[in-house]
Amino acid sequence: MSGDRARIEVSHLTKRYGEVTAVRDLTFTVEPGLVTGFLGPNGAGKTTTMRMLTGLVSPTSGTATIGGRPYRRLPRPSRTVGAVFDASAFHPGHTARDHLRVYAAMGGYPDSRVTALLDLLGLAEAADRRTRGFSTGMRQRLNLATALLGDPRVLLLDEPSNGLDPEGMRWLRGFLRQLADQGRTVLVSSHVLSEIQQLVDDVIMIRRGELVAAGPWSRLAGPPAVLVTSPDADRLAATLQASRPDGDAPSVEVIQAGRLRVHGLDAPGVADLAAEHRLRVHELVTETSSLEQLFLHLTTDKAATP
Amino acid sequence: MNHLIKAEFRRLLASRMWAGLLLAALLLGGGMMGAMALIGPENFDPPMPGLHTETGVRSILGILGYTAFVPAAAGTLAATSEYRHRTAAVTFLFAPRRWQVLAAKLATYGVAGLAYGLILAGTAAVALHTAAAVRGVPLGLPASTVLGLLARIGLAMVVYLLIGIGVGALLRNQVVALCVVIGYLYMGEALLMMIPGLNQLYPILPGGATAALTDFTYLADAMSQQLGSTTLQLLPPAAGALLLTAYALTASLIAVLVPMRRDIT
Ligand SMILES: Nc1ncnc2c1ncn2[C@@H]1O[C@H](COP(=O)(O)OP(=O)(O)OP(=O)(O)O)[C@@H](O)[C@H]1O
Ligand SMILES: [Mg+2]
Repeated sequence: MSGDRARIEVSHLTKRYGEVTAVRDLTFTVEPGLVTGFLGPNGAGKTTTMRMLTGLVSPTSGTATIGGRPYRRLPRPSRTVGAVFDASAFHPGHTARDHLRVYAAMGGYPDSRVTALLDLLGLAEAADRRTRGFSTGMRQRLNLATALLGDPRVLLLDEPSNGLDPEGMRWLRGFLRQLADQGRTVLVSSHVLSEIQQLVDDVIMIRRGELVAAGPWSRLAGPPAVLVTSPDADRLAATLQASRPDGDAPSVEVIQAGRLRVHGLDAPGVADLAAEHRLRVHELVTETSSLEQLFLHLTTDKAATP
Repeated sequence: MNHLIKAEFRRLLASRMWAGLLLAALLLGGGMMGAMALIGPENFDPPMPGLHTETGVRSILGILGYTAFVPAAAGTLAATSEYRHRTAAVTFLFAPRRWQVLAAKLATYGVAGLAYGLILAGTAAVALHTAAAVRGVPLGLPASTVLGLLARIGLAMVVYLLIGIGVGALLRNQVVALCVVIGYLYMGEALLMMIPGLNQLYPILPGGATAALTDFTYLADAMSQQLGSTTLQLLPPAAGALLLTAYALTASLIAVLVPMRRDIT
């Protein structure tokens, strides 16, 4: 990786397309060394924001900088930022190697870099096949290879999980985590919370072009809770509270007769404890986090959609 | 800038575009010219003056000039392909100074157009002389003049390729741009010639300027005769060349300036 860490700073960013305001007075920062999720329902303005960050779209007002500079003023942008916007952005008649060689030449990188990236992304065997026949997973890898040609400090990915199977998702998670651990800034957009839930450290959530929430996932999501239905609810509550020394014990809230909400212990923990004390459990559910509830609210809030 | 030109050459050579252009140059230059000369313009339907006359030679060279829609289409394809395959965003990420990308394309395709024109004119010269020799017909123009005219046609191909790039950069939609370019060059100008009043514009349109290069008046004359309108006066060859250059420059300017601030969505 070349040079220092780079923070992304978006300040009062606005984009209007005629009558439509795609992004409205948006302000946030993205920190290096973390994977940040950029969440929002369809049409929220994620793609528009990311395109403004990279100079592909000109903002109506406001600024977006990477490492303190607007994208178009970066001396050699592909050394600082790698970005993936479209699931497939290759000439179908080009091979993976052809494609990378075009952009290696454009960025001034040696052909050895092309070979290294084909290897790194597991594309060595497909390198000389035309991209026309590539699967979604291979396309995503070739997109990433292109973005990484300049060994950039910042990686922007627009809906990278679209169309990936669970195995592909697992691979992507590991790969992005590795990049963030190297000190890079990684911003990943998605309209499906569950897809990036296991991937991100920080979250920026927008709706209709406006910021809704931003911060570390753990803080926004709130402590997880477990809902228990049990005919032995009273005894279970007592057992839970006595399971650990006072200050450390799970807190139990009685919702109604036979139903408890437990904080501070996960579902397997509750189940094991109940089994140990021969207490019956009829239902055990991990409650959706407050972030999930917020997101669900955003996506289903019909009244709020224009 | 050198990086960008290198990249565009790699892009061109990696696709089948260059092979297609080479094939077209051989087929239209050697192939079509050879076939026309072997059959003889006097046997065309309707018949045209034979190869032993100056008009005959100028006419079949002029017909070669009408194949300029091929390099124009190639230029249009090249300029729109990045939008069609969505690589434009990637390219502009690597090179945010977009005018440089288009300038690199113009330079690359200028060279490609030159090669196309050379092969087209070269194979056409060989085919014309061989066919004339086979049929034992002496050409109505000295060999040096024929070569000079062919060289002009070859250069005109570069101009048309650049015009194609300009239109492509302006319209971005591949199918629309191709229809406009081919439709206009292949049919549009011919139709214009038939409209009284508007046909007076013909000499300053690209087709008229190209015809002026080789002083190919036969088609225009025949057309005005049939329509009973006044004969169209083509520009002198040098003026035609200047006008074509102006078209190429305008198209290049459009290609370079238009993508500058446009949103890539
Ligand atoms: N080129 C454009 N012209 C007009 N309106 C546009 C344009 N691009 C985006 N929009 C509008 O701006 C809004 C935000 O779109 P954007 O693509 O940024 O959303 P998104 O969050 O990426 O959505 P998705 O999850 O569907 O990809 C939408 O209402 C969209 O219709
Ligand atoms: Mg989007």
